[in-house]
Amino acid sequence: MKSLHIQNVGQIKNASLELGDLNIFVGPQATGKSIALQLLKLLIDAGQVQEEMGKYGLDWSGNLPDFLDAYLGEGMRSIWKEGESQIHWLGKAVDLAQMAKRRRKAKAEELFFIPAQRVLTLRDGWPRPFTDYSPGDPFAVREFSEKLRALVETEFSGESLFPQSKRLKKEFRDLLERDVFSKFALKIDKVRSQKRLVLGAGTGEGSLPYMVWSAGQREFVPLLLGLYWLMPPSAVARRGEIKWVVLEELEMGLHPRAISVVLLLVFELIQRGYRVCLSTHSSQVLDAMWTLKHLREAKAQPEVLLEVFAAPKTPGMLKIADAALTKSVKVHYFDGASGVSRDISNLDPWSEEAGESGWGGLSEFSGRANEAVAHAVANAK
Amino acid sequence: MNFKESVAATPHLKNSFCEGLQALRAEDKPHIEVEDTRKLAGSVDVDTALQKAQPQANRWDFAIAYNHTNRREEFVYWTELHTASNSQVKVVTKKAQWLVCWLKNEGHPLAGFERDILWVSSGATSFNLTGYQQKQMAAAGLRHVGSKLRIRNKR
Repeated sequence: MKSLHIQNVGQIKNASLELGDLNIFVGPQATGKSIALQLLKLLIDAGQVQEEMGKYGLDWSGNLPDFLDAYLGEGMRSIWKEGESQIHWLGKAVDLAQMAKRRRKAKAEELFFIPAQRVLTLRDGWPRPFTDYSPGDPFAVREFSEKLRALVETEFSGESLFPQSKRLKKEFRDLLERDVFSKFALKIDKVRSQKRLVLGAGTGEGSLPYMVWSAGQREFVPLLLGLYWLMPPSAVARRGEIKWVVLEELEMGLHPRAISVVLLLVFELIQRGYRVCLSTHSSQVLDAMWTLKHLREAKAQPEVLLEVFAAPKTPGMLKIADAALTKSVKVHYFDGASGVSRDISNLDPWSEEAGESGWGGLSEFSGRANEAVAHAVANAK
Repeated sequence: MNFKESVAATPHLKNSFCEGLQALRAEDKPHIEVEDTRKLAGSVDVDTALQKAQPQANRWDFAIAYNHTNRREEFVYWTELHTASNSQVKVVTKKAQWLVCWLKNEGHPLAGFERDILWVSSGATSFNLTGYQQKQMAAAGLRHVGSKLRIRNKR
């Protein structure tokens, strides 16, 4: 376990986050989940973050408020309260002001961040470069966008992006074709000399440009490219020195069937040895974690997990399911009212802690609805 | 009529009223937690009482009545102690449907009390009702409350 402790930063009053192989952050909007994840990136990759920011002309003059505005986005300097805010990473206090003052030596990047705003990274169907954004935009979005640009320009010149025989297991390609792309292929097209991503059988007539894709497809394509980046077509399991993956709101715009496929892809990431942190507003994600917990405790076979996901029981998928059943899972609830995070990894639907039984508020509404209906029906005249 | 009188007025339950939680079997009592036992208005073992009259029916287990501090009348918790498993949802739902039907007919002296129809797990509760199962149950007036029914003074 790795521990991250955050006190009095933004909306977070106290968050003690023990991190396992797969980590889920839940909680209402603006409770600090994204701040915690971006701080994690900063703590792991301080040198690389500073080098990237410097490379693209961001200058924070060694002071922390300017650094926070440049890194987290305009106005985010307000999250840090001098003398009150504290961060501990791996049990050691981190001096963020000192970090901003002195540039660290860059080492290879270890955490890959897929931000919630990923739909913004494609403009007219092509990934935007880092410098295409306003200086007040969050670093995580700009950096992710730049990585996608580099990926499609260097690794896919003139090729089809999906389906791609060298990318993702065939089982995933089939599932994505069924649940996301609906027989459309994702291709690189050219209008005069401008490259763009389109969906369709070929170039020209019949190809669908970015603006007519479904909302789910627009959300999913940057995520797919991010997964391509993390799962290189070679024999190596991971890209470069990357050990951590942050994926914010994986469910964005997706139908529950597509969410199931993305969750299986997340299981593949952990099978490849990545530690993964997800933030989510989807009760389906917690249903999946609850299932993992009980199947693990019951020593169930990986086939059972694949049945839950309606996935084929091929040797490759069984390996992924097996990894999901053996890795550690932590679920943290960010409670907006108290500003305190709670470990709700037990996901006990009968817990007296409303945060745990209501799964961080994700099943609160349906719980109340069922209670009201049951009472009304039981007392119907 | 209060709960005790209503029980006496119900066919086949005439002599079934018990004080406190005495209608429950010893192994069932740990599944019921009451904030103030003095506010218990009695209990009935419906299953046993109706065994002869309705041997083939999906009979319900117990009725527990409580005087909540914020309610004028006694409130009745119709409680079924039953194994927790997704495969039992249909079984317990059928029992709840039988109960609702019985309350409209023979059990009508007890129908006037506000009630909850609750499934309390008799064993481990490591099961998760799917969204549609919860809705199937709710539509039958039934709710699952885990392995313990907690009755508080205020409701």
